[in-house]
Amino acid sequence: MTTEMKFLIVDDFSTMRRIVRNLLKEIGYTNADEAEDGAAALLKLKGGAFDFVVSDINMPNMNGFELLSQIKADAAIKHLPVLMVTAEAKKEDIVMAAQAGAAGYIVKPFTKATLEEKVNKIIEKMKG
Amino acid sequence: MNAFTDMQDLLQDFLTEGGELLEDVDQKLVELEKNVQDKGLLNTIFRGFHTIKGGAGFLDAPAMVELCHRTENLFDQLRSDKMTLTPEMLDVILAATGEVKRMMGEMSGRTAPQPAPAEMLEALDACLQGKTPPRKKPGSAVASAPVGMPQANPGNGEFDWGRLYHVLTGNTEDAEGKPVLLVAPTAVPSREEAAPVARAPRPVSGGAAGGNVTKDGTMRVDTARFDQILNLSGEIGMTKNRLNCLRTDLVRGVQGGDTLKTLETVLGQLDTLVSDLQSAVMNARMQPVGRVFQKYSRLARDVARTLGKDCELIIEGADTEVDKTILEELNDPLVHLVRNAVDHGLETTADREAAGKPARGTIRLAARQAGDHIIIEITDDGRGMRADVLRQKAVEKGLISIEEANTLDERGSLNLIFLPGFSTKSEISEVSGRGVGMDVVLTNIRRLKGRIDLSSKVGEGSKVTISLPLTLAILPVLMMKQGGQTFAMPLTAVREIISIDRETLQSVSGQPTLVVRGEALPVVQLADLLNRPHTGESLVGVVATTGDRAYVLAVDSFVGQDEVMIKPLEGIKPKGVTGATLSGEGVVVLVLEMHEMLQGRV
Repeated sequence: MTTEMKFLIVDDFSTMRRIVRNLLKEIGYTNADEAEDGAAALLKLKGGAFDFVVSDINMPNMNGFELLSQIKADAAIKHLPVLMVTAEAKKEDIVMAAQAGAAGYIVKPFTKATLEEKVNKIIEKMKG
Repeated sequence: MNAFTDMQDLLQDFLTEGGELLEDVDQKLVELEKNVQDKGLLNTIFRGFHTIKGGAGFLDAPAMVELCHRTENLFDQLRSDKMTLTPEMLDVILAATGEVKRMMGEMSGRTAPQPAPAEMLEALDACLQGKTPPRKKPGSAVASAPVGMPQANPGNGEFDWGRLYHVLTGNTEDAEGKPVLLVAPTAVPSREEAAPVARAPRPVSGGAAGGNVTKDGTMRVDTARFDQILNLSGEIGMTKNRLNCLRTDLVRGVQGGDTLKTLETVLGQLDTLVSDLQSAVMNARMQPVGRVFQKYSRLARDVARTLGKDCELIIEGADTEVDKTILEELNDPLVHLVRNAVDHGLETTADREAAGKPARGTIRLAARQAGDHIIIEITDDGRGMRADVLRQKAVEKGLISIEEANTLDERGSLNLIFLPGFSTKSEISEVSGRGVGMDVVLTNIRRLKGRIDLSSKVGEGSKVTISLPLTLAILPVLMMKQGGQTFAMPLTAVREIISIDRETLQSVSGQPTLVVRGEALPVVQLADLLNRPHTGESLVGVVATTGDRAYVLAVDSFVGQDEVMIKPLEGIKPKGVTGATLSGEGVVVLVLEMHEMLQGRV
């Protein structure tokens, strides 16, 4: 079932979306869509059928934190796990992400193994 | 990193997208100079460095990560009001963007970027700690000699334009295709020299325009436009299936009126679909000029600073779209023209104040679409050009005779600056005078089938107007016959077609003339232009305009109107022929270039 999961990758930099998409594919998650900022992501999420969100923090229009809080405020999609991507291990960012209900965070640049570990851990927690 | 299967593609993506981002950052930095507290600008620049750093981290470019990390931190401080931007800081930051560009150049050459000079990193650290790095005057060797900054070569006080040129035009390769060392002073290469040698042949070529589709052979296309192309090709596929069915019917001997009628309808649909597809593909090739224009803000600023001038570049019509190839070929001429406007056009701040003008000079770079042409204007509010001075100069240089000079009107005199070897300043300036001047600009614009015009008012400024076709690839033409051979001429020049009654032909000082709607127009026989015998067939004529001259071109007959792809003739260049195309019957048709064809006539 897990390989059928549908991911939404949110980042304003298309190269980064492609990197994440490629890594997910190598891990075995081939079903992914992309959005270029929080606002676009929300629209897609409300359209339904997503199982997992990987979102950058620093984006124009609506940043990753705003997206996270909007997701958590919407009954229809609040169950979705959100993995926050940050450029460096800033303590305040991580704390803020955790408080806002992020399922986890990952620091750029990350390897396939790190992403796999983070994603799988979140999915296991969901099942459990 | 070997986990990536398409690493090369990713790198290309990063360089394209990151490069655009960096150009945007560069332009925002120039804006920021005038408005150091603008939160929006500070945020955008912060995010730009942040994003580039993020991408570089995945692409094994620790040197770029390190540099971007520092600039990003600096902007984090600035945007949260913990620090205020000083001109000294801005110098260091501008140098850093130049350095990031250099690193991208190295990455496109498939090598890991070299670390930034230690002095630059130290200067950034000093900024971060609130210490002001010593401001270097242009003309002294600045720490790290950053790329893209107006820096001097240590010792001789000369400015390295070659390097700035490379940075601004993105030409990081020399004629041999080797990455140019961006440290040594290099002469500004002409387009031909700068064009990388190994280049896939262009599928659709606009006459003698030549050149490459793009430096890296990639292009960004809006998804909606791409989907439209996809839809149309799908529909063409379905139409093809219907044609196959009809063929089967015909083969079986079903040849009723219905079958033929259906065939007619389906062919009509195919016709519409193919022309829709053509225009959709052409649309996909259209790019906003702003993408190229925006980097000139930095150019103008840097040139002005070296010369002790103050100038602002205003960009208008950034959304105007033009074919990608034209846009790329336009870069070199525009770099020249912007540089010229700052150097030759604008006065020094002191002179401007003395003349009662605002201290800061303005250069306006405007683009707009006019029919099937795009008009680009570069206007400065500088000292203007004096026709008499230009004429005198041209005579002194031996470019024209005194008699020729005396016959020149205002416009003709201004156009003298396009002559090879013409330079208005007695001494060649380091900024604009490099031996490659306005004559190269003219050649480049002509190659794009464009025109260039000048106007100027002494004391008020000058204006260069460039008019270019929107695209070079597909051209609507009028097909006509002369002596049994088919020729084509661009439809843009055609006003109307008429039949010529020999009785109404008049002779005005030996030139056959026809009165069309009260206008007396000279009549030129295509047979004469081609040095062929008259056929004596019934005459028809094309009322056409070339440049600002109207005339009637007399031919044997018309075939019709068509949209054609023009292929340049390889190896030969007959006068008055721009290229060749194929007619519906598969016969080679020469496409006439009337401007050239008529030289010395009419």
